[in-house]
Amino acid sequence: MATAMAATAAERAVLEEEFRWLLHAEVHAVLRQLQDILKEASLRFTLPGSASEGPAKQENFILGSCGTDQVKGVLTLQGDALSQADVNLKMPRNNQLLHLAFREDKQWKLQQIQDARNHVSQAIYLLTHRDDSYQFKTGAEVLKLMDAVMLQLTRARNRLTTPATLTLPEIAASGLTRMFAPTLPSDLLVNVYINLNKLCLTVYQLHVLQPNSTKNFRPAGGAVLHSPGAMFEWGSQRLEVSHVHKVECVIPWLNDALVYFTVSLQLCQQLKDKISVFSSYWSYRPF
Amino acid sequence: MGCPACADSGSMRTSLQAVALWGKKAPPHSISAIMITDDQQTIVTGSQEGQLCLWNLSPELQISAKELLFGHSAAVTCLSRARDFSKQPYVVSAAENGEMCVWNVTSGQCVQQATLPYRHTAICYYHCSSRMPGDGWLLCCGEYQDVLVVDAETLAVVHTFVSSQSPDWVTCMCVVHSVRVQGDSLLAVTVTGDLKVWDLSSSISSIQEKRDVYEKECKCLDSLNCQTIRFCTYTERLLLVVFSRCWKVYDDCDFSLLWTEASSNGRLFAGGEVLAAHRVLVWTKDGHSYIYQLLDSGLSKSSGPADGRLLRETIYPHLVCSASVQENQNLSFVMGYMNERKEPFYKVLFSGDVSGRITLWHIPDVPVTKFDGSPKEIPITTTWTLQDNFDRHQTVSQSILEHFSGFGGEAGAEAITASEYVPSLDKLICGCEDGTILITQALNAAQAGLLDVGSVPKDSPSHKVLKGHQQSVTSLLYPHGLSSKSDQRWLVSGDQSSCVILWDIFTEEALHKFFLEAGPVMSLLMSPENFRLQGDRTVCCVCGDHSVALLHLEEKRPLLRARKHLFPVTAIKWHPVENFLIVGCADDSAYIWEIETGTLERHETGERARIILNCRDGSQLLKPEPALPAASETWTYRSVECGPSGCPPPGPGACPGLQGEAPWQGVDARSPPRPFNVLPVKTRWSRVGVHVLLFDLENLLELLLPAPQGSADPSGSFYGSELLRRARGTVSKKTLTTKRSRAACGTASPEAQAPPAGRAQGEDAITFLEENDSVKWQKKTKSSKKTHPQPSRKVNASLPLDAAKLFLSCLLPWGVDKELDSLCIRHLNILKLQGPVSLGLASSEDHFSLMLPGGDLCDTETKTEYSRMNLFSRKVLDLSNKYTATLPSHLGTSRGLENGCDCLQESNTITYLLSRLFLVNKLVNMPLELACKIDRSFKVESIHKVKSPVNDILHISSFYGHLRNGKTDSPTPAADLSLVKLISCWRDQSVQVTEAIQAVLLAEVEQHLRSLRKTPEDSCVTCPGQRDGRKQVQAAPELGRAEDLQPGPLRSASPVQSAVSPGEHDSNSETANFQDSEDVPGRCVLDGSESPGEPRHHSWIAKMCSCKKLR
Repeated sequence: MATAMAATAAERAVLEEEFRWLLHAEVHAVLRQLQDILKEASLRFTLPGSASEGPAKQENFILGSCGTDQVKGVLTLQGDALSQADVNLKMPRNNQLLHLAFREDKQWKLQQIQDARNHVSQAIYLLTHRDDSYQFKTGAEVLKLMDAVMLQLTRARNRLTTPATLTLPEIAASGLTRMFAPTLPSDLLVNVYINLNKLCLTVYQLHVLQPNSTKNFRPAGGAVLHSPGAMFEWGSQRLEVSHVHKVECVIPWLNDALVYFTVSLQLCQQLKDKISVFSSYWSYRPF
Repeated sequence: MGCPACADSGSMRTSLQAVALWGKKAPPHSISAIMITDDQQTIVTGSQEGQLCLWNLSPELQISAKELLFGHSAAVTCLSRARDFSKQPYVVSAAENGEMCVWNVTSGQCVQQATLPYRHTAICYYHCSSRMPGDGWLLCCGEYQDVLVVDAETLAVVHTFVSSQSPDWVTCMCVVHSVRVQGDSLLAVTVTGDLKVWDLSSSISSIQEKRDVYEKECKCLDSLNCQTIRFCTYTERLLLVVFSRCWKVYDDCDFSLLWTEASSNGRLFAGGEVLAAHRVLVWTKDGHSYIYQLLDSGLSKSSGPADGRLLRETIYPHLVCSASVQENQNLSFVMGYMNERKEPFYKVLFSGDVSGRITLWHIPDVPVTKFDGSPKEIPITTTWTLQDNFDRHQTVSQSILEHFSGFGGEAGAEAITASEYVPSLDKLICGCEDGTILITQALNAAQAGLLDVGSVPKDSPSHKVLKGHQQSVTSLLYPHGLSSKSDQRWLVSGDQSSCVILWDIFTEEALHKFFLEAGPVMSLLMSPENFRLQGDRTVCCVCGDHSVALLHLEEKRPLLRARKHLFPVTAIKWHPVENFLIVGCADDSAYIWEIETGTLERHETGERARIILNCRDGSQLLKPEPALPAASETWTYRSVECGPSGCPPPGPGACPGLQGEAPWQGVDARSPPRPFNVLPVKTRWSRVGVHVLLFDLENLLELLLPAPQGSADPSGSFYGSELLRRARGTVSKKTLTTKRSRAACGTASPEAQAPPAGRAQGEDAITFLEENDSVKWQKKTKSSKKTHPQPSRKVNASLPLDAAKLFLSCLLPWGVDKELDSLCIRHLNILKLQGPVSLGLASSEDHFSLMLPGGDLCDTETKTEYSRMNLFSRKVLDLSNKYTATLPSHLGTSRGLENGCDCLQESNTITYLLSRLFLVNKLVNMPLELACKIDRSFKVESIHKVKSPVNDILHISSFYGHLRNGKTDSPTPAADLSLVKLISCWRDQSVQVTEAIQAVLLAEVEQHLRSLRKTPEDSCVTCPGQRDGRKQVQAAPELGRAEDLQPGPLRSASPVQSAVSPGEHDSNSETANFQDSEDVPGRCVLDGSESPGEPRHHSWIAKMCSCKKLR
């Protein structure tokens, strides 16, 4: 029993030494790495205001789908905002070509990108002043910091990976429909969103349900992508989606950002795991 | 009717009373938000752990922690006042996960709560009394675009203030009331540094007409990370904007920049405030603060570094004073400043840090520099932590195990790292830091911890020590508590070094050890009822290395080791049909394991994973580790409170963190009503364990009523319980207005017990019996149950009485009257407390407040007399006197203890006291709208609808009054009416529940013991026969009444009942009017059909069963 206790004491001393090293050296190494990654990620989002090189550069994305060529679009992304849009829609009924474009004076903020960017900068802000000069005193302190950073990163990633589920009336009421010149025909709805690394544009063609129609009217709930046959009430009319066109384009830098999020989340978790190994040794001690 | 949520909050189980057993160590409270209320009497702090703390701020600027408020399950992000403080002392708190709560900071109750899908970082209260209906708006900003307008009363989103230009997250804002502009406006700064102005005054009408409200002005301020924006109300001209790297002063007229001051030595600014005209206070994230005098530099100071080219007056700051915290300067601080121009208020700068320390500085009215012009250091006025409260007031540690004689050598050396309460056995199982597991009688342990050491009964609880773990015990699981089919002997425990032991708790031997080698065992879970492997349920271990192991207890073998998870496990689901184990991780990925083969079937991320984890097709979702601080606690709490269908399954829109549904709900329905419960409370990032004793007044009464009277006459017992049941019936029927709330309460009451309730009771009892008699444990059958009904009842009966006594001990203000104390100890057998206890107050299912040690000593007067302990507030004595005055005086003399040592009498008294407290509790907690009705109905009796609530109240009060002595001298309804009026009056005067209860208890005890005090010698001894005789006399009017109400054929069914049941006073015509005709018949049928010869135990069950059917 006595020897066992002695061994434990020696073991404890070693463990405490290791833990001290972890807190004073390893944590900072990881945090440096984390900051570098996040800085890279935030560069992708080109935070306006911080960018000294003036306004964010414009990028054009040609949207298409592998199936049909009914809809073609060119969207111009400037930071977190869509500054221009050119959408060509071939109407299935008469094969007429419909051209839609944004008004010159308007920009459409992509909230998903904006939120992701803000979450990343929040995470970076949390990590400022936690460089080598800062001394972590307890493991719990590191865990709390990591929890806060991971919360922001998870939210940033989730904003990109989960587009908002909107109901059709919500899409109809959205400001995006008022962005176009000439104004959007009343039988068309447009939605733009980010899904993972892709910029997606959906165009819904609608037709009015006659009041005396025998069809059973059931308003559709919220969805990322509504399917043909979805019904809703708008104004005094009952409408049904007749055609859905979805076109998309990969935004390369969003892909990078997602990778950075995943990597930094793993880094955070690994650091938490390292700290937790020692949890039994620090949980009741103030050091 | 008001909003359903309101009705709900008023109608839930308010009969729950809590007593906190704080240890020596204070729970962690990492302050993340801080504010001082407008009356400068309370500091409110929010913590990363999710709790709020109320601190008393004395006129001398001394701080003392008062209460801890539980309710949020994630870190608190911001606090704000939620009403005009002089009218209602309400404060709103918002949490990381979108929860919002409005708290009454005087009583500690949660007034309103909601969960919105938004994370707020700042809230401003705005109310324009002349033009706005309702209680005003909470203007919220946070991790979403623009500003949300939330109704301060309902917490529903009313509208949004939208931006026409570059919408973005808003980081800070302030409401500006400017005389110059003649109107209110909201200034807000976005993440990207755009200053936006919304016109509040004109928005009121726009919002009522549902029109969009766009910003009036928008200007880019060219800096990031704005922390604070403040308007100088003294000059009505300057704007102070604090960014993390600099602070700037703008002209409010045209938003032109007047001065920029960058931060020195890399400090980050965190906030600021305008002190006076041309005087500002700015503080940093690490606890430093600076006071600057802004000096006019004249018109054409070309050397001015700011806009020199503009020919306008500029200002430059001069550092006058500074203040800083003493130590721990690299912690992060949240600070605030309170500027009250009114006397006797102070100008106070306050800060709270992550270690839980609050620091106050009294800022002088005119800060000046030193003589040589260098800045003066303002000294710290006060500093305080929770731990200080514990050190000063917790002279006796009330930790649940520390008073255990013969445990562990030096007492209190071993911290409890895991604990589990087994209600069916009344056992508390505690795992300790050194690896031992202690099993004790929970009630005894609590008594030992709370009551005077000298007076603890000699037969100290026999406790068991299980030794086997080498390292600290991290989790415990008692399978029988979750599934009655599991073996009663089994206990599963896991430790830090990944060893899981299966114990036999009766023989104290380790049946099997599993070595998982996967880090600490984070949690132990039971597979759900519908998932079985070869007919047995399995135990699931979640380990520190994020792996999951399934153990088969019966065969003592591990089934599955799932080791591929990269992130902590947050959810576990069983798929019973396909034999899959679905593991959800913190990174929103899902792993699907095949249990038979132990192979990873699928790994999904993103949307697919979410769909897999969210579908609830018959399988059960468990949430193993409380990733959220209060989650575990809320959970247990829920399972205490809710019956089988108590809380409806949270909809898909519910907060994602709390998606786990308590797996014990179904099980709980089966257990008998418990007199009390022990709740282990854990906080995040720490293992400081606190135990909370929960006394359920309703259940206590329920259990007490049959027992004591039963020993005299067998069928009287269910008469008593029937009374109570009807009382509850009337209350629940009338007070619950919405269907939802009705379900919540109705099912919580024991009437809704599932049929096996009695069986479980029987089983438990048998264990007791067999354990006590050291009979070899055997498998129970139905027949064996029937053979031991009598002793089983006995064991169960003493427990509620002891619990009730403990509860009264905790509640009674000791030391107010020395003589009274000794009388209580002698005649009622209520023991004196060791020291003041910390009472708790439940305001809703998962919102409650716990007093902190020393929290009751806030009044300076009470501090001086230490002998007077446990007095909640000074008000209690006044209230108590008022109550005594209202009590009819003749009662006091005619009543009294007939025989001091008669234990039957003793328990009757205790039951009576409890019933009074229950009534007071109900009355004070009644939802306001209902209360209004009662008040009205005192006047308007003709309207039927309005009349009913008061009838109910009178109904309960009067037949509780009947219990006063059980027999002849029931109080006149008039007396009760006046008491009800008095207590209703207290509620209107916002007397706190605890105050009211304590006052009534004191008055009732005094009344009760008065006769004893005067003439303790010639107390007449009444023999049982005499009493029976009186009953017979009383039976006649009772019979008459029963005839009115019971349907004909059933009347003859129970002659015994009508003969022995004590008379109901309301046979007298006055109260007969108040009788609620609808509630009686159905329930009387049940009692009538009871055959009197059967053992009571069974009739009780039968009644519950048939009740269930009826519903």
